[in-house]
Amino acid sequence: MTEGGIDAERRSFIAFALTPSLIVLFAVAMLPALYLVVTSLTPFQLTTPGSSTDFTAPLRNYQLLPGDPRFVNSLLVQAKLSFWGVLFQVLLGMLLALLLNTQSRFVEFARTFFLVPMVLPPIVVAVIWKLIYTPDISPLYYAAQLLHFTMPALTSSVDFALTAIIIADTWEWLPFTFLMVLAALQTIPDEYSEAALVDGAGRFQIFWYVTLPFITPILVIAGMFRLIDSVKAFPLIFLLTGGGPGTVTEVTNYYAYLLAFDTNEIGYSSAVTVVMLLLVAGISLGLVWMGRRREAMA
Amino acid sequence: MNTRFGRSASPGRLAAIVVTLLLLLSPFLWLLQMSFKSNDQILQFPPPLVFTPTLQNYASLWHSAFSASFVNSLLSASFSTALALLLGVPAAYALSRRTGRGKHALGFAILATRMAPPIAFTIPFFLFYRWIGLLDTITGLVLVYTSFNLPLVIWMMQPFFDTVPISLEEAALVDGARTRTVFTKIVLPMVTPGIAATAILCFLYAWNDFFFALILTRTNARTAPVAVVNFMNYEGWEWGKIAAGGSLVMAPVLIFSLAVRRYLVSGLTAGAVKG
Repeated sequence: MTEGGIDAERRSFIAFALTPSLIVLFAVAMLPALYLVVTSLTPFQLTTPGSSTDFTAPLRNYQLLPGDPRFVNSLLVQAKLSFWGVLFQVLLGMLLALLLNTQSRFVEFARTFFLVPMVLPPIVVAVIWKLIYTPDISPLYYAAQLLHFTMPALTSSVDFALTAIIIADTWEWLPFTFLMVLAALQTIPDEYSEAALVDGAGRFQIFWYVTLPFITPILVIAGMFRLIDSVKAFPLIFLLTGGGPGTVTEVTNYYAYLLAFDTNEIGYSSAVTVVMLLLVAGISLGLVWMGRRREAMA
Repeated sequence: MNTRFGRSASPGRLAAIVVTLLLLLSPFLWLLQMSFKSNDQILQFPPPLVFTPTLQNYASLWHSAFSASFVNSLLSASFSTALALLLGVPAAYALSRRTGRGKHALGFAILATRMAPPIAFTIPFFLFYRWIGLLDTITGLVLVYTSFNLPLVIWMMQPFFDTVPISLEEAALVDGARTRTVFTKIVLPMVTPGIAATAILCFLYAWNDFFFALILTRTNARTAPVAVVNFMNYEGWEWGKIAAGGSLVMAPVLIFSLAVRRYLVSGLTAGAVKG
């Protein structure tokens, strides 16, 4: 076979290997997005025939959004859930990583077990916290009873329901930030802290002036990833509170779900989802931009 | 001079690590112990720390509709894993062997499928499936899971192919072998561990799904995670059975995670960290 023959044969194999995947990726990433946008321009309800192709008032759904108190509230709930969840996950994940950043065979073995909450099926995490938050069977309430302390109902209380979700969400995703921070900590050369030690720096000073600046970019990136994923919190809310009491824990994702699959407002739900997608895309672009800047700096 | 400042494991630090681990895992252990208790023992106060474990919760689950949903989960996760590998492994090889723009488009697709809230895909998938009659079928679930696992396969497999020296392939090509033969006979055997690890991660992602299964299935194709939730709604508050169901759903996940713990990190943080 000639040189050119090999090249041509190789190119055609590569094209043959790549094409099916590219088609599927396009079909999965692009077509649903287009369909969603088209649907959001209609007053589509499953029970109303013809409503899926009714484009007489294409922007009606979007005009309704700012005046919909449940939508506005859902954005607020999401902001609260994301802010506190991400904050706790980054802080506690960092502390955990600092604790486990040590050279010992036992600790390396133990690390795997710290990942358990994150690899569990999300619905099992929700079941676990359902057991913890149900007074009759919960270790939390047993303990409170032994201490003669009356524990308030958590998931059905206006004051505590969102906190209960934030605690469960933090437990589930703490291992993610832990993993990322630990990876960053292990790239810090020992010489830095040794030099600081020689100069008479204390443990806290070494953390503040050597370790922290080193891991700050990773803290930010891990936080951004959790921020994007926090929009997806569904099983916890579905099983623990159902968005309630009232709409106290009803995040935008959950509101869109209820609209589409509970009240049949598919067109309106699509509009809510499009707005949510745009917000997530904005954050994602920020993340990509930061990643690039970090690469440029390195 | 203490050259390993802050990195050596002192007894105090080890104790702190053990206590933290126990504290972190206690909610999980609580579910596990509850699955071996009878309903009377569960409601007993104070909760007995030492009790005679019973398998009655698991036994009654096995004779209920739950076993069918377990099989549904197994089928949809296995088939979608196989399909995603079939499509994704050659694509990862192709991407690894070519340079240029394809990689950016792929990066975008991974980002899009990973970042977007599932509801954004669920509404179009639901309407489409309703139209072509794929609602409540295993086939429908397999298609959804395949498409979401495909980017993961490509992402995971590409570094493995990068490690196979291109000179090996060139030698075979010069000897007159076709690229297809080189790929199946020389390259694939060298990346078998990578394929195994990727397969397990794909299986786990499909197995763990709740949202798609909740919306795209009703009764026939209901998966185990949805079935566990259904207990809560229809079988009253049979805590022992709920705990046993949860334990059964998480069992394959824990076993497989342990098996691939070396690759777990890059799979779990796919898209989050480079390499």
